Amino acid sequence: MDLPEQLHDFLLVFLGSCLVLGSLGVVFFTNPIFSAFSLGLVLVCISLFYILSNSHFVAAAQLLIYVGAINILILFAVMFMNGSEYHQDFHLFTVGGGITLMICTSIFVSLITTIPDTSWYGLIWSFPCCWVHRGTALSSLWSRSYVCSSFWFRVFVSKKFPFQFGKNYKFLLVIMLTCVLKMHVS
Amino acid sequence: MFLLYDYNIFWAFLIISSLIPILAFLISGILAPISKGPEKLSSYESGIEPMGDAWLQFRIRYYMFALVFVVFDVETVFLYPWAIGFDILGISVFIEALIFVLILIVGSVYAWRKGALEWS
Repeated sequence: MDLPEQLHDFLLVFLGSCLVLGSLGVVFFTNPIFSAFSLGLVLVCISLFYILSNSHFVAAAQLLIYVGAINILILFAVMFMNGSEYHQDFHLFTVGGGITLMICTSIFVSLITTIPDTSWYGLIWSFPCCWVHRGTALSSLWSRSYVCSSFWFRVFVSKKFPFQFGKNYKFLLVIMLTCVLKMHVS
Repeated sequence: MFLLYDYNIFWAFLIISSLIPILAFLISGILAPISKGPEKLSSYESGIEPMGDAWLQFRIRYYMFALVFVVFDVETVFLYPWAIGFDILGISVFIEALIFVLILIVGSVYAWRKGALEWS
């Protein structure tokens, strides 16, 4: 995205906190309609994250399908429930809740320690679907659509990239140019 | 307009579509005569006395329609990239997309004959 650096960071932090608050609201609201609406807020925030990452089609698909169809389905299912069933059985700390809390925090900690430390470049271009896309007519479809170019745009333009791409950008530029040339030749 | 200039038309649409109801309320608030009375504060039911409860029971046919809509919405999202690259993909891809749509039409006919789309 061609936003200024600080605005990009501010939007990331704002959307992230909105997302976390919305997901807390999904879990902790006693009224299930509030819960369903904050799930809708979470899905809209995810869609805005996709826009920030320059994937406009995925953002639109997310809005259409998740908010427009799946959240509506959840809301309709919630509307079947009776109003008198809301405030029963609200325990704050249960055994199952404690186990889930430990599992989720361990998954979260392992994710935030491993994601900045792996080099994603080798993984992505070793996937077989990318081999196919290099050589077929579909690859010109990819060059016409903005997905690949937006990925590379994000690699080179965003300075605060958390992965290790920024150090080898000349090498990546050569590889990108050869791939693009191969795509246009085939 | 200033940020995200790819979305210029979208910002213009958003601004105009939020200005229209604001203008409508403002103009009617300025121009309309104000008269108070007890009938103004009662609930409206097409001019007759309100009868029955305000909360109705939720009917299952709304859920059936939303379910069928989910399936065909996902199908539509799959058809959008095919529509973008339609002129450079060959006839074989056209036949594959046609087979995809036909399989979903079979599902739709099944839902129709099973009565999922009944409104009454």
